Amino acid sequence: MYRLALNMLFGDRAKLAMLLCGLAFSALLMAQQSSVFFGIMSWTYTPMVNIRAQVWVSDPMVEQVNDAKPLRDTDLGRVRSVDGVAWAAPLHTSFVQARMQDGNFKLITLVGIDADTFAGAPAVLTQGRIEDLRLPDTVIVDEWGAALMGRMTVGPDGKPRNTPLKVGDTFEVNDIQARIVGICKVRRAFTGGPFVYTTYDRAKGYTLGARRTLSFMLVEPQKGVTPAELCDRIERDTGLKAWTSDTVIWSWGERSLARNTFWWFWTNTGIPFSFGTAVLLGLFVGIAISGQTFYSFVLENLKYFAAIKAMGAGMGVIARMLFVQAFTAGLIGFGLGAGMAQGIGRVMIEKGMPPFVMYPQILWATFALVLGISFVSALIGIIKVSRVDAASVFRG
Amino acid sequence: MSHLAHTVAVRASGVDMFFGTPENQVVALQQADFEARRGELIMLVGPSGCGKTTLLSVIAGTLTPQAGTVEVFGQRLDGLGQEELTAFRRKHLGFVFQSFNLIPTLTVMENVMVPLLIQGRPYDEAHARSLAIIDKVGLKGREEGRPNALSGGQQQRVAIARALVHEPPLLICDEPTSALDKDTGGHIMQLVRDLSRSPERCVVVVTHDHRIFRFADRIAEMEDGRISRVVDDPKLLDTTHL
Ligand SMILES: Nc1ncnc2c1ncn2[C@@H]1O[C@H](COP(=O)(O)OP(=O)(O)OP(=O)(O)O)[C@@H](O)[C@H]1O
Ligand SMILES: [Mg+2]
Repeated sequence: MYRLALNMLFGDRAKLAMLLCGLAFSALLMAQQSSVFFGIMSWTYTPMVNIRAQVWVSDPMVEQVNDAKPLRDTDLGRVRSVDGVAWAAPLHTSFVQARMQDGNFKLITLVGIDADTFAGAPAVLTQGRIEDLRLPDTVIVDEWGAALMGRMTVGPDGKPRNTPLKVGDTFEVNDIQARIVGICKVRRAFTGGPFVYTTYDRAKGYTLGARRTLSFMLVEPQKGVTPAELCDRIERDTGLKAWTSDTVIWSWGERSLARNTFWWFWTNTGIPFSFGTAVLLGLFVGIAISGQTFYSFVLENLKYFAAIKAMGAGMGVIARMLFVQAFTAGLIGFGLGAGMAQGIGRVMIEKGMPPFVMYPQILWATFALVLGISFVSALIGIIKVSRVDAASVFRG
Repeated sequence: MSHLAHTVAVRASGVDMFFGTPENQVVALQQADFEARRGELIMLVGPSGCGKTTLLSVIAGTLTPQAGTVEVFGQRLDGLGQEELTAFRRKHLGFVFQSFNLIPTLTVMENVMVPLLIQGRPYDEAHARSLAIIDKVGLKGREEGRPNALSGGQQQRVAIARALVHEPPLLICDEPTSALDKDTGGHIMQLVRDLSRSPERCVVVVTHDHRIFRFADRIAEMEDGRISRVVDDPKLLDTTHL
């Protein structure tokens, strides 16, 4: 009978196509919406992606990467003396006002990196060389930031036009000149505007007001020492807090700074809520569409199930037939939808907008939801068939 | 008496069947008595709304009457639960409906296989037996087509093949010819008679269609929820030997 159940499902190509479209579209909607949501949320741990250090060390009270509580410069030496540390470099991050040539002020994220190791430097420079940071008063600005800090001018066609900052342009931070020697490509962050990279020592100058400037230490373990092991040693020997930089937000290990940052935003800000409502809307629409398409499929077949029931099929057999149909349709629909989401995701990741992170968990959850919807629809169908009077088959 | 019990295929006695709420009650059957013998084709006739379909449903175990007893091939239906009634239908009954009730998304072959598959027969056996009966109803070569591609008469042939493929003792037909033209209806009834005529079998046909009365061994007339008269017209009986 299960073979017949499948043939019933595949027998009407047009209706099958409708059903699969509904299921696939809702799977796509659910996967895509959630992926964009997690994409936006993944901006919270952007520093971990951009800075690429194996181990981060912070003040013990730090909970997430945006809330740097400054360390003492002497802490650097203490960390360097911990067994298993290959090297440790200082990192400064802060939000400061930059004064542009036209007199406007822009809030920037200042990143000061160690001038010897360049630990924490951006991975991709589209213009200039990282070594140019060793020249006086130099900075490297990220591509997107260069546009944000650009000048509004009137083009030849009379329309306003934004001219991004380019190599050679200057601006001021705390009355100290900053000259752009390079443009880099970095991932966007949730907080903070343009990323302005400079050396750690110069960053100290740019933030002359600040008493302490050591936000984090970036540490490289020696060969054979895992980041997690090194974290344990650093915490034991220095009393500071040490983090791994892996961006697996689903692990329950306490070590990942990315994970802590992600969930800190999750619990302490309204961001998940405001973006989550859009996702929920997508979920509801998806559930409604697939539930509706499946349900109408069941309704259309109700008459035939009633006939099968009159001919002597027990409810057990009919229930299994409906489940076979539901799960088969759910499986195919999910496959199509997830495939489309992957395809769309690839395009989005290439363009970078909107942000798109499709965790395997999203696919699993979508899979579970689609199957859940199929299951519930089949269940409703089963209840309907069980209620339908077998004698009704004699009527017109 | 024991001889009589031997010849009885279906017996319904004192059957009451009401529909609706107590305030707004429709009496479909009232103290209905009905008997069909083994080896016969009996027709149920009567005006619209007199309770023919309801009586058929009660005999088929798809409706449970409020009063009375029903016995089919020695099996009492009263007191059986839903699952037992279902099992009873699976084993003892074949159905031919006015609206054919063929599943449009399945092939002719698959439609005919349904009763055997419901019985849990292996697919290959069901296939072979279905092929044989499709041949008997004259649709050889059409088994892989869809029912909708067939004419009304051909569709009803498929329904007959489906009703008989598992060789049920009792064949129940509700207005099997009313959707068909005269000649086709005659052919269909001829087929039903040819395929189901045997001492172990019984055919009950509800019909309005006087053109097929000649296929009946006996005709039971219904009126207001009960059998009013059973005629044994020898003339009609004679035509059955054609
Ligand atoms: N499920 C039901 N609910 C309520 N009333 C019903 C139901 N089934 C039948 N009836 C009523 O019971 C009576 C007998 O109906 P039944 O269908 O048995 O008549 P019939 O002799 O088969 O008529 P027809 O020749 O028009 O098919 C009618 O008055 C009908 O309205
Ligand atoms: Mg009727």
